[in-house]
Amino acid sequence: MKIMTKEDFLAFVDALIEHEPGKVVGVKSKGSKFVFDELSSAQELRLDYDVTILPPKKYFLPQYETMMCYDLSKPFSVKREVKIEPLIIIGIHPYDLIAIQQMEKLYLDTNVDDLYLERKRNTILIGSTIKKVAERAFAGSMGTANTNSGYDLMLTEMEDGRVAVEIGSEKGRGLLDKYAKVRDATDKEVAEVRAIKEAIVGKYERKVNLDPKEWPLLFNENYHSSIWEERASKCLACGSCTLVCPTCFCYDVEEEVGLNLKEGKRVRTWDGCLLREFTKIASGEIFRKDIKDRYRHRYMRKAVYLPERYDFIACVGCGRCATNCLPDIADPVDVVNQLVEESYSLKREGSIHIPQPATIKRMEMMTEKEVLLEIELDSGEALNHQPGQFVEVSVLGVGEAPLSVSSAPNGGKRFEIVVRKVGNVTTKLHQMSPGDKVGIRGPFGNGFDIKALEGKHLLFIAGGLGIVPMRSLINYVLNNRKDFGKVIILYGCKEPCELLFREEVAEWDKRDDIVHLLTVDSCPEGECWEGNIGVITTLIPKVSFDPKNTIAIVIGPPVMYKFVIRDLLSRGMPEENIIVSLERRMKCGIGKCGHCQMNGVYVCKEGPVFNYKDIKDLPEAFQ
Amino acid sequence: MKPRVAFFDFSSCEGCQLQVANLEEDIIDLSKIVEIVSFREVMKEHSDDYDIAFVEGSIMRPMDEKRLKKIREKAKILVALGSCAAFGGINKLRNQWSPEEVKKEVYGMAKEEDIEGNPFFDVFETKAVGEVVKVDYFIPGCPIDRNEFAKVVTALVMGKKPNIPNYPVCVECKKNENICVFELGKFCLGPVTRAGCNAVCPTNENECEGCRGYIENPHIDAEKGVLEKYGLTVEEMLDRFNMFNYKKEVRRER
Repeated sequence: MKIMTKEDFLAFVDALIEHEPGKVVGVKSKGSKFVFDELSSAQELRLDYDVTILPPKKYFLPQYETMMCYDLSKPFSVKREVKIEPLIIIGIHPYDLIAIQQMEKLYLDTNVDDLYLERKRNTILIGSTIKKVAERAFAGSMGTANTNSGYDLMLTEMEDGRVAVEIGSEKGRGLLDKYAKVRDATDKEVAEVRAIKEAIVGKYERKVNLDPKEWPLLFNENYHSSIWEERASKCLACGSCTLVCPTCFCYDVEEEVGLNLKEGKRVRTWDGCLLREFTKIASGEIFRKDIKDRYRHRYMRKAVYLPERYDFIACVGCGRCATNCLPDIADPVDVVNQLVEESYSLKREGSIHIPQPATIKRMEMMTEKEVLLEIELDSGEALNHQPGQFVEVSVLGVGEAPLSVSSAPNGGKRFEIVVRKVGNVTTKLHQMSPGDKVGIRGPFGNGFDIKALEGKHLLFIAGGLGIVPMRSLINYVLNNRKDFGKVIILYGCKEPCELLFREEVAEWDKRDDIVHLLTVDSCPEGECWEGNIGVITTLIPKVSFDPKNTIAIVIGPPVMYKFVIRDLLSRGMPEENIIVSLERRMKCGIGKCGHCQMNGVYVCKEGPVFNYKDIKDLPEAFQ
Repeated sequence: MKPRVAFFDFSSCEGCQLQVANLEEDIIDLSKIVEIVSFREVMKEHSDDYDIAFVEGSIMRPMDEKRLKKIREKAKILVALGSCAAFGGINKLRNQWSPEEVKKEVYGMAKEEDIEGNPFFDVFETKAVGEVVKVDYFIPGCPIDRNEFAKVVTALVMGKKPNIPNYPVCVECKKNENICVFELGKFCLGPVTRAGCNAVCPTNENECEGCRGYIENPHIDAEKGVLEKYGLTVEEMLDRFNMFNYKKEVRRER
């Protein structure tokens, strides 16, 4: 470590400005804010800044950067013709240095970006220790308030204006040798600098309540959280959060042709995944049309996708997104802390194996073998499930069983399951009474992708107990009827006495916005049945539907799928229009114990709801 | 053969055509790639034989409508030039009153016989060009941006679809590293307004008034939330929204 007096430091900066080729930029004031801009004198440099409006990424990926120039008057004449000048950047805070290192990984990883590489080779980075914490910054809890790498020189302003300099590279050492009057730091000064750096971490009032290393877990678990919709409802989708972010490196490419139709260039310019047309293709399709999906994508990219690929959390806690978001919904601190607060696995001290206590609120015998249980979590919170998901229901001393949630998510605290008396757990559940306690883990698994079903005609085909998971979707659809096209429900069971949800089925009769048909395999003597008799497939020819624009949802006993799917395909329905939900032995519910696997696929995790096309080639799927 | 280009104007200040006339040396390049056959602001000649029609201004009267339909018949490509043509712009403010009220207010002192049956005074509600005929492309702005006009012409001559940004002014404003004008105590429609102006107003510390019209799918409720948060009343908010983007439904909410 070296030490300069204040005067010597200013002289050093002035010498760089005067003698080094290319530009010297540093932090300067702009109104009440700060920006990186070209320095004309060391006096302009403001190492006491909190944060700059834009991060120094603009020097590595400029807002507008010419990638190539061409001449249209010739058959094919392309030149790079981009001059990249030497550049010295002074005053970069540690979080921005870390962001530059992240950006470098992405741009130099494979398919090396030569423009980036050349800028990197021509740039000298002089960092500076944070002196003032920005209002919305949270680098203290991100581990980014200090760094030991990513700089050529690192400055720390000390009391009475002395400047400590750490050398990070030979390039940096060269600059000091050439232009600076320095002396070695004393042990006391080294300790002093360390103390300054340690102290800054404690100055951050805003903190995330979860170690960034655990973010991938948190965000993966909360992909379907209601937080996205909630916060996105206020989102302007203006893209500001991404544009000012030091770890947002996406760009768009534009063609610029001069009015003479001769000279042209291809330019890349900052783009952002919050903007509606970020994913738009020539035919007009937009792949993240909902603001919610774009809002979530920004977080998933930073907390999951980039970490999976490069092993860093792509947020450095600078707080720029929070400062620049007019409705104030972009702050990662708020999102992370709310998710931590709500998060299921984290709240139970990390054990995904321990069920939450819950109380049976109501029981209703549906048939001789099936009982409906209405359950409420003792925490008072809603289950927050998606139609098609399941829970693991525990009876202590007996065991645990995977059971489909049969009610639609309705914002209320209670949810319903239907239990057929077959094994120990289910028999015990039949013997329980309202007020008794059960344990709940979940919701687990992949439910129905409701967004993908919206606007489509739906053909529900349920056999036997298949109506139980299907009811969560049917009721969702009926509650939001206008979001869907035609609705046809085909429901069959073995005998009339096995028919579930009789009252609701009777309600369907009264509606003119759905078509439904019932069947029983047979009607034993003594039972009464006026409807169709025959297996479920005998109903399919009785309904008309447009196979290309209808999505079939098929749930039933294993034997049913082969025949139903065969008939649907023969009606001209594309494979990808068929959705199934499969039953397997799901012991853990979390894709670990291995029981439910169909070949390599975990039914409890990737399923139980699948698109037929995705699994039809698995030999074990429809044996 | 160079495409033949004609300019037309309806109810407007003709400021957008002035922007074209102000292309200065670039106008020479322009004249090399297109043949301008009609442009009242800069030349006397006129021809009815053209490929591309640039139409400025809003449509206010039956006689305008007739004339516009004729232009549409002749033009292979019709481009609405400026906000008045593209979406009605400031002219739509007039639609908060009925045509009768407007006539009375403006020509109330005139003699009945001068007005009655005179097609010049026969006004209906303000319409954008696209509400009367099919518009192939539009160049928004009050006035238009000269560079954007040049880009559109270049694209059309090359047989490309012109690319008018469909993202908000904030994008360009952020790239320019401005201090957000909300932080300067002003109110900005940038978050819902179509970019392409290089955020010229906020870059000069002025609020965006929305002269280029809304982006597709603007999140108006979110913008209202922001304006309210920064202290604007509903009345003031509507005045801002209405200036260039008046919509009848908005007014009825009051």
